[in-house]
Amino acid sequence: MDEIKNPSYLINKDYESINLVTFDEWIEDSEKLSKLGVGIILKPQDDIYSIQEQLELIELIALDFSNFDDGRGYTQAYLLSKRWKYVGEIIAINAHLDQLQFMIRSGITSYQLLESYKGSIDEDYSHGFSLCYQAAANNNGLHLQY
Amino acid sequence: MYKYSEKDRQFLVERVDQFEKQLNRYLSGDLDEDKFRSLRLRNGLYMELHAHMLRVAIPYGILSSNQLRALADVADKYDRGFGHFTTRQNIQFNWIQLPEIANLLRDLTDVGLHAIQTSGKATRNITADPLSGLTEGEIEDARPYCELIRRWFNLHPEFSWLPGKFKIAINGAKLDETALRIHDLGLRLIKNKKKELGFKVYVGGGLGAAAMIAAETASFIPSEDILSYLESVMRIYNLRGRRDHQKKLRIKFLVRELGASEFSRLVNEDWHQTKDDQELKLNLKELQSLKEDFALPIQSINLNGFQDDIDFNYSIWKKNNVRNHKVSGYSIVNISLTKLGAAPGDTTSEQMRILANLADQFSSGEIRTTKRQTIVFPFVRKDKVFNLWESLEKYDLASPHQGTMAQIVACPGRDYCSLAKAVSIPIATRVQERFNDMKKLLDIGDLKINISGCENSCAHHHIADIGLLGMQKNGEEYYQITLAGETLHETNIGKKLGPSISGEGIVDSIETIVNVYIDNRKINENFTDVFKRIGIEAFKEKVYG
Ligand code: SF4
Repeated sequence: MDEIKNPSYLINKDYESINLVTFDEWIEDSEKLSKLGVGIILKPQDDIYSIQEQLELIELIALDFSNFDDGRGYTQAYLLSKRWKYVGEIIAINAHLDQLQFMIRSGITSYQLLESYKGSIDEDYSHGFSLCYQAAANNNGLHLQY
Repeated sequence: MYKYSEKDRQFLVERVDQFEKQLNRYLSGDLDEDKFRSLRLRNGLYMELHAHMLRVAIPYGILSSNQLRALADVADKYDRGFGHFTTRQNIQFNWIQLPEIANLLRDLTDVGLHAIQTSGKATRNITADPLSGLTEGEIEDARPYCELIRRWFNLHPEFSWLPGKFKIAINGAKLDETALRIHDLGLRLIKNKKKELGFKVYVGGGLGAAAMIAAETASFIPSEDILSYLESVMRIYNLRGRRDHQKKLRIKFLVRELGASEFSRLVNEDWHQTKDDQELKLNLKELQSLKEDFALPIQSINLNGFQDDIDFNYSIWKKNNVRNHKVSGYSIVNISLTKLGAAPGDTTSEQMRILANLADQFSSGEIRTTKRQTIVFPFVRKDKVFNLWESLEKYDLASPHQGTMAQIVACPGRDYCSLAKAVSIPIATRVQERFNDMKKLLDIGDLKINISGCENSCAHHHIADIGLLGMQKNGEEYYQITLAGETLHETNIGKKLGPSISGEGIVDSIETIVNVYIDNRKINENFTDVFKRIGIEAFKEKVYG
């Protein structure tokens, strides 16, 4: 896997030392885990509403985007970022270059690509447009046209 | 006429630039097949074994003469001189070479045309009544709303990877030409008791193997709140829609599984968290400016004393193809491109240029396309209709059969489509040959026949008076007949008549059905009226008896 990248204007935090647990592990024993200060990996099928009340106890949330066509992660990012105002890092893991613009605007704060493509520049896909047609979790500095 | 701004066109160019990079990565083996498939579909590109198909959007069915000329140029430069107008306000080019895609799309950006989200699991282009703004009694012209909603869901970050495709239709007219309740989501513009404008919302319609009529999920959403409501529908669909079963991806399956009331409860629960968010309110300033852009380019004229020409062929053609305009002094003229034996909707670049020129001459440079794959000239002066007809005659575009039962909607079928179970176009041709007596056709009147070559239902056979669905039985082609589908006044899926009928016998069966209709018809009754009154048994008896 590629290194973790933070688009420069996004929040930055020292999260490399944080242990990650799966959603199931968290649900199993959130009381113990929350004392250890862990982060959670959420798969698309994990019920994000069930952690809504516990967000303060979670150090960071990693959304797994490995399945290119499964778009549930975008709604998860939106709910965390815009609706529930989660203050920790929201990392897209197993992310795909071609979907960066969608992830960032849905509210992820950093990403880790599943594979990188030689000769491709991330910015072409994270910032390929000069405007956007909708307000979203993060308007990414774009001119709004709607 | 509404045109994309400089900024909008810049966005289209940026989209092409990005897609070109992806295409090059794919061609150099750096982007895998599956991902590229997902990306190219969102840019309207289908790949077949030998050639590739590109689907270009015709928003709300409207084209300027310049846009039509640009499409003709594309047909000549990148295809084999043809384009195919679809039933859903698109045009398709079938012989595109991969390395030329980006240049083709760039050519189109000059005239504000694109292929964004014409396919793939995202919000497709929005269907509006092709006669929007033209007919009497409209509650409101739907197009400015369509455009604001289309923009909002254009590369929407949260909803670009939905479980399945998502088709929206919006109707502001009295009659529903859009067939909105067979869409994933249909919006009907209405006014409440306080005369405020809003939408009635229907979710979960669709044709195909499991044809369903969309259920009402909200009886009135104020127009300025529609974006947040739509987002909530899509959010529930995005999170809960079936992704595990290829045949159950569409939202209709989710609505059916949850039940319409539970589905709408979930939507409401989500919506109550966002409906007051000012960022999600419809932009009223933009709405106003779109209303001005879509305003009619004509004003009423006084043609008192005008006498139309008397010519037998002209009067027949006029009866079937010319409609009243809400602006006095003007007519709406329907033009069919269908030729006996050819795929309906197929149009040559030459025809496109002829139509573009005629539109400049007779219709304020505007053309509309319809779901019956015909072309409409929306602004023809009453005293110029005869001249237009003469020109159409000259170019062989004014067959009097147009607008009668002989104008059949048929999908490409087995002649052109690899998914087909049976032929469509040859059946249409045989029906046209059987019913070639003009007097009889005029007597039958407006009766709609649609033929799909397989369950994908591209020809919308479920909503025709007589619908045919092609299938295979012991290696032979058979057709399932459905009767009395409709969408104009209310939405009904056609009823299955009985066992399917062989290709050989199908034209006889159609003739029998038409005769049952004629024999039982009372004055001013159309096909569905008769069907409802006498019931399916009366038809069954004669066809299978
Ligand atoms: S209905 Fe079937 S046969 Fe006809 S065009 Fe669609 S997929 Fe092809």
